[in-house]
Amino acid sequence: MADKGEVDLTGTKQNTGVWLVKVPKYLSQQWAKATGRGEVGKLRICKNQGKAEVSFTLNEELTTIDGIGDKSSKVRAPREHPFTLQTVGGQTLAVFTENSSGQSDAEASGSVTGTGPDKIALEGVVVQRAECRPAASENYMKLKRLQIEELSKPLRFSQQLEKAVTTNYKPVANHAYNLDYEKRKKEEGKRARADKQQVLDMLFSAFEKHQFYNIKDLVDITKQPVVYLKEILHDIGIYNIKGTHKNTWELKPEYRHYQNEEKSD
Amino acid sequence: MQLSTQIVEEQYSLLEVIYAEMTSLGSSSSSTTEYIVRVPKNTSKKYNIMAFNSGDKVSCSIWTQARMERDMSNRRIYGEEETTEGAAGSEFGKKQREEARRKKYGIVTKEFKVEDQPWILKVNGKAGRRFKGLKKGGITENASYYIFTQSADGAFEAFPVHAWYNFTPQAKHRTLTAEEAEEEWGRRNKVVNHFNIMLQRHLREQERGEEGEEEGEKGGKKKKKKGGRGGDLRIHDSEEDLEMSSDDSEGSMGEDGEDKSKAKKDKGPKGKGKKKKKGSDFEDSDDGDFEGLEVDYMSDESSSEEEEPEKTKPNKGEDVPKGIDEMSDSEEESEEENKNEEDAKEEEEEEDGKKTPVQVEKKKKKDSSGESDSSEDSDIEGEAASALFMVKKRTPPKRGGGRGSAGNSRTGSRPGTPSIDNAATSNTLRAAANKLEQGKRQTVVSSSETPAAKRLKMEPSPQSSSGKSTPQPASGKSTPSSSDVQLTEDAVRRYLIRKPMTTKDLLKKFQTKRTGLSSEQTVNVLAQILKRLNPERKNINDKMHFYLTE
Repeated sequence: MADKGEVDLTGTKQNTGVWLVKVPKYLSQQWAKATGRGEVGKLRICKNQGKAEVSFTLNEELTTIDGIGDKSSKVRAPREHPFTLQTVGGQTLAVFTENSSGQSDAEASGSVTGTGPDKIALEGVVVQRAECRPAASENYMKLKRLQIEELSKPLRFSQQLEKAVTTNYKPVANHAYNLDYEKRKKEEGKRARADKQQVLDMLFSAFEKHQFYNIKDLVDITKQPVVYLKEILHDIGIYNIKGTHKNTWELKPEYRHYQNEEKSD
Repeated sequence: MQLSTQIVEEQYSLLEVIYAEMTSLGSSSSSTTEYIVRVPKNTSKKYNIMAFNSGDKVSCSIWTQARMERDMSNRRIYGEEETTEGAAGSEFGKKQREEARRKKYGIVTKEFKVEDQPWILKVNGKAGRRFKGLKKGGITENASYYIFTQSADGAFEAFPVHAWYNFTPQAKHRTLTAEEAEEEWGRRNKVVNHFNIMLQRHLREQERGEEGEEEGEKGGKKKKKKGGRGGDLRIHDSEEDLEMSSDDSEGSMGEDGEDKSKAKKDKGPKGKGKKKKKGSDFEDSDDGDFEGLEVDYMSDESSSEEEEPEKTKPNKGEDVPKGIDEMSDSEEESEEENKNEEDAKEEEEEEDGKKTPVQVEKKKKKDSSGESDSSEDSDIEGEAASALFMVKKRTPPKRGGGRGSAGNSRTGSRPGTPSIDNAATSNTLRAAANKLEQGKRQTVVSSSETPAAKRLKMEPSPQSSSGKSTPQPASGKSTPSSSDVQLTEDAVRRYLIRKPMTTKDLLKKFQTKRTGLSSEQTVNVLAQILKRLNPERKNINDKMHFYLTE
């Protein structure tokens, strides 16, 4: 894997300055709907006698909000958003990007330039912080109102039904599942006692895979009647009553030969 | 207000410089520029914020290279540990059973998400800084952050911020573990010299690493010496050695007192200065003071002339010994050799350190600083004794000045006689010391400086001593193996002339470790010697003391 952890420091070398802007949720949603090259609006910077004013104007087509209630056209997103500028303070905020390929666990986006799983690059340092605020307007107030109404609805609510529900369970002579079960059982038939040697072989091969077995599992594997199986097991194995492996059968020590044990048959 | 506008101004001007190609609308007082904002749709790059605390003073521009990767150390917690699969120890259907059980009890284990793991950022390679970046939650819940960068065509591009990581620097220096921190916390009222704490820890570890007894011994001694503040308890480790019968309480109290006073005075700037000076970060432990006090008697240690002027003297007593020591500095070297062999006082590494000038210096320092604190058994003993001798007799100290003073201080720590004497002679001693100082490179101890202050010196010495453990034995100062200390009539006589001692004290002087004799033999030989010497007896504090008058 190409030098995975190496951080590309070109951004900091060039001293690229970026702005960190906090944007309201609805606005970012609108931006996500942008078409084409992704133009979302215009940023206007005025320098008025030393004071700078920044304002963002949302594009006309992006002002329609849908999804809030049924009134999609009634509410529109406000267009004017003045920026409140703040200083970065003493904090050093750097921006780094991760270019993830399709392989890395969490990221699913395809990689464009990176060859390794993650290409980390330092894009720049934040020089200005800003908050994008919507200009107080009728539109905005309505929008907010709708939002609040949406959020205040409880997740669960009770609803009265006109008619009782009768479609769930009907009385049945015998359930389908049961019928299948009985059929299977008939096919299998009673378990016949196979040759002792064969059974022993089966047991040994089973115990090679795991050390401890439940009697039920052994019955399943060997398809022998329980009583017969138990007899054979008493010969070659022991039954653990206490301990970590409760109620399980394991081979007698002299029959075992696992890697970490010395005794072997 | 104005400041903030200024800052904003600056930032804006910066922006304008960068975005130079944009035309402004013109009027002098206000100018408006318009930019198109784009939100690129198909970018695969995820933008994240790397936030540093302002106090860490991180500047990305000075980074030459950096590496960053996820910290996967939590993975094992989430990925349940896999028990042996198949064969031994495994059970048929164990996994399913476990899963069923967990579902039944509703145990929900959180998934290990690589996305949420912290980052480890290493800047400037191995020797650079290390940072850990923890993800800050909840930034995308209510509002989205966007990064506005200006693109080549003058338009702004806005990228959504995916995650915010707070990066904090990771300490490279060693810190105390939880247990050790608890321990130190319990001692915080007693420990005055906090610089010592890490040093002691370092030494402790060194100790454990070293194999030889001598090494261990020296380490132990050093530990004690350096123990200074932190090791207050340790100082009095071998309390029997420390205390002479009659002077017991005095001595210990005195030492403590001196320790603390010294610590208070010497801590802080001095400590730092000394540290820098010595180039090590020991702190001056009071132990060293004692060693400096070692009188000529303690020939092993080089004079502690080097004690800096800083050495304040909580004990005046130290002046005297020091001065004396300094005066006889030149003699000391040679004498020390002799003394080493003959002296019963064991000098620890410090003494050995004398071997090299550095060591000598350090020892001296120790001596001076050892005034009140020295915790070394041998040091204390020897020094105390020597100090006593020095004081009483006002004879030119042979030993390393430090020694003498140390010894003095030690005994002087028993507020008794020594201090008084010392005070009286301080002036002359000081003069002598100064002269010596100039003359001798090694001896820097100004007589006025009591050994007490030289904790630092103490430390280096032990350090150096520890470093040169081999030379030490060679010098035959205090290594038991070389049996410097011989239980001879002369030695006993010297002791008794200087100060009245009980048999117990004498025995302490001639420890079996040093002389190489067994305790029985020591007792026998000592008894014989005493019979020969026939010293006078005096009852002090209900104990029978022997003493000789020349």
